[in-house]
Amino acid sequence: MKRYLSLHTITLALVIVFVITAIASINGCAPTKAVAAKSGAQLWAENCQRCHNTPSPASFSAEQWETIGMHMQTRALITQAEREKIVDFLKSSR
Amino acid sequence: MKKKMYQILGMFLLIMGGTLSQVYAQNSGGLDSTVLDRLNALEQQANYQKPGNDHFMVAGLTTFGFAASKTTNTVGGISSISKTNSFPDADHYEFSPMFLWRHGNKFLLEFEPSFNNNGLSVNWADVSYFALPNLIIRAGYLVLPFGTYAKREAAGWIDKLATDPMGIADMTPTDYGVEVEGGLPLGSMKLNYDVAVSNGSQLLSDGTLTSGNIVDNNNNKTVTARIGWLPFSNSSLELGVSGMFGKVGDLGSPYQNATGNMYAFDLNYVKTFHPILLNIKAQYNIQNITNENYVNPNDSTQNYSFNNHTTAGFVQCSIRPTEANNFLKNFEIAGRYTSYNLPGNSTFGSDQHSVTVGLDYWLTWRTVVKATYEAYTGNSTASKLLGAYNGTTNTNTFYLQFSIQL
Repeated sequence: MKRYLSLHTITLALVIVFVITAIASINGCAPTKAVAAKSGAQLWAENCQRCHNTPSPASFSAEQWETIGMHMQTRALITQAEREKIVDFLKSSR
Repeated sequence: MKKKMYQILGMFLLIMGGTLSQVYAQNSGGLDSTVLDRLNALEQQANYQKPGNDHFMVAGLTTFGFAASKTTNTVGGISSISKTNSFPDADHYEFSPMFLWRHGNKFLLEFEPSFNNNGLSVNWADVSYFALPNLIIRAGYLVLPFGTYAKREAAGWIDKLATDPMGIADMTPTDYGVEVEGGLPLGSMKLNYDVAVSNGSQLLSDGTLTSGNIVDNNNNKTVTARIGWLPFSNSSLELGVSGMFGKVGDLGSPYQNATGNMYAFDLNYVKTFHPILLNIKAQYNIQNITNENYVNPNDSTQNYSFNNHTTAGFVQCSIRPTEANNFLKNFEIAGRYTSYNLPGNSTFGSDQHSVTVGLDYWLTWRTVVKATYEAYTGNSTASKLLGAYNGTTNTNTFYLQFSIQL
């Protein structure tokens, strides 16, 4: 039982450390100007390859990219702003 | 006389001017009509193709391959060898169309049936409601947010190796429930969160768990949660911690107070260091189930107990050239170490390890041919008293796998 409590405590401590570090390192719950200014192309290059190869814009139609963008937001948990920029980039680059 | 000539010339010009203007008007009228007709046709065509509120599409994946293996099993100093090779099993043959149905920009339905293991199953079936910019509410048959492998990395066209790391995906249940998730910007960093409440896993009579029961076996819901942290502005690193807590025993059974506490830690690092793209993934799962008394399968009058503690972990690294000719850039090499330890003195206890290496060739960004070699060692820690001990197993397997996403 002690072992379970200890693991529970470690997990809780890690969660708290993550959250505190995150909050302490920033000025608020918003992206910095540099992050907010990122283009759809940059976000596409940075985020898609976290799980898989960066997709070719020509792979899907504009309508399909809208749907896939929503699906990917639920999987990769990118922010809404990131999703919109990436989808706009993919639609415009077809 | 001169005056008369001027009058005649003036009249002639007037008549010609009127005639020419009529001819021009007729011509230009014809041109306008053609353009208008064309415009009308284009407008009609555009209207037909104009997106509506709903959109339905089919994506999905398939994986096909060949596996050849040699297994040596040693019990009490006596070894036996067996060899197998078969189509289409490159770890898992799978044909899984994924149906996506978007209703406006607020609802998304996802359904992925799968033909694998010679049968039909469902990977997930859920509806998502995009409630706020960074808040999604989902309900249905969900892959629970426990680590990242099962939810993000397991698909054949994503995984760098032909096999799944032992135990990792098996310890991530798919279950009926509701889920709240989203990604948040935090200055130059990002956080994501994922919390699910589901029916929960069910403890079986040998101490293992099963999941996906449509009726809750104990009316006690299981909570699963994961927090992911991306500390760098380029999103290259993600660290995650997950927990899953709930009762697992059947109501009214001898195990009705049994609880399962599970933890997972995951890491994902993807960054280009010219001339290579480095990709590191890791996950470590821990599963603790309270000690219970189980019925001896060989003697129903006897009970036995064991420390029901399971761990599974892997570290995987892959490298792909970024600056080479088009042929070489499509190659990727990958290696993985996996450890999977099942509880000793049970009927299924074992310490298992595998080393997996592979060479991939990417035909497109979502189409890959993989050659994978895996060396597996399993030492049984099952109870000899229960007659479950089966010695040591060494298996060497070569996989050739093709996987595509469409």
